[in-house]
Amino acid sequence: MASVRATQKQSTRRKVLEAARDLFHEIGYDETTIRAIAERAGVSVGSVFTTFASKSDVLSQVMDDRVESLFAELDRVARHLRGSVIDRVSSVFAIHYDFECRRVKLFLAHVAASFSPTLEASTIPYGRNSRFKGMLLDMIAEAVERGEVRADADLDLVLDTLMAAYAWNYRLAAQRRADAAAMTAIMERQVALIFDGLRP
Amino acid sequence: MNHIPMRMHAPSLRPQKLTRRALAKQQTREKVLQAAREMFIERGYEGATIRDIARAAGMSTGAVFASFTDKPELFDAILSDDFAALLDPMQDAASTAPSAREALVAMFGAAYRMHFAQLPLIQAALAASWTRTPEAERLRRETMRPIRGLVTEVLERGVDRGELTQRFDLRLVADVLWDLFLAGYRPAAFDGLSVDVQTDRLAERIDLVLAGLKA
Repeated sequence: MASVRATQKQSTRRKVLEAARDLFHEIGYDETTIRAIAERAGVSVGSVFTTFASKSDVLSQVMDDRVESLFAELDRVARHLRGSVIDRVSSVFAIHYDFECRRVKLFLAHVAASFSPTLEASTIPYGRNSRFKGMLLDMIAEAVERGEVRADADLDLVLDTLMAAYAWNYRLAAQRRADAAAMTAIMERQVALIFDGLRP
Repeated sequence: MNHIPMRMHAPSLRPQKLTRRALAKQQTREKVLQAAREMFIERGYEGATIRDIARAAGMSTGAVFASFTDKPELFDAILSDDFAALLDPMQDAASTAPSAREALVAMFGAAYRMHFAQLPLIQAALAASWTRTPEAERLRRETMRPIRGLVTEVLERGVDRGELTQRFDLRLVADVLWDLFLAGYRPAAFDGLSVDVQTDRLAERIDLVLAGLKA
């Protein structure tokens, strides 16, 4: 049984992450102070720092927590995906765009922070979460088995190229307020381009 | 179009006749930019304060603010210069390459070569690019337009030469190539990859994308 102390710590952690998630989205990452997070969460500034090393640490934990619900959604859908590898892969990216666009400013802050030269050791920068990639890699490997993709294709290279296109499409959200549907439409064309060169 | 004219987009740098006052102002601006560049490279964007920059430039913080309204504006001015400076080397690299593929590898390689010496600055720039004001974004797009145009020109030349087909919208292809180029900065920053290694990695990705356009 967890001690009272451990339960309290757990509850502080949850409150801080919820407050931070909302503030990052509402006013942006740079403008959000640890003080403001503590205030919104109803905890002391000191207790934020006993749980998290820094603001960037809070951000990466916020993102990591959300990932669970994204995976739940992907798992649910993945079993039902049919059609060509282009359709399947595009669907996975469409789910990602839908998911991230619910709090797009939060996501953009996460991407922006991943370029920071001063990341904490505990911070998981955007793009370094390997669970994201495993599912796509499986999907491409299946396409090789079905004879849709060349057997000698370098799958990691394909995945990496897809991920780069996927990630930089958020530029359209950052700079032109594009929504999930707009990004999905462009991504579909990019996926088609990339797989076109991989036909056996 | 069968060739890329050299320096086609080179802006006219010859200054208008300046009054002494305007000249002094311009010199102050140059001095601030130089000092700020060094500070940003040394300490990163967050780490460099206007105070530090002013001290390094040998002037008051007030004098810095007379040239730039705030740190983001100062930072953007430096980046505009840095990206504009890519144009000539990229164009030169592309113009001597025997094929579209080689031209792309050479021009992006030239860009990496120029930028990798100051990665902290570029990292900070890429971080900032996700959360810009619309006005800053408009200015940045203006700066980048000729450089991004180079990519499309190289592809068009490839089509003219019969190396590539237009089965895909060339602007779509150019955008993907540009994304792949930008995506190379982060591994360079975090994994310390050299210019050559990073250029080779990009070449593999270029081959992957161009495979769909092979004539």
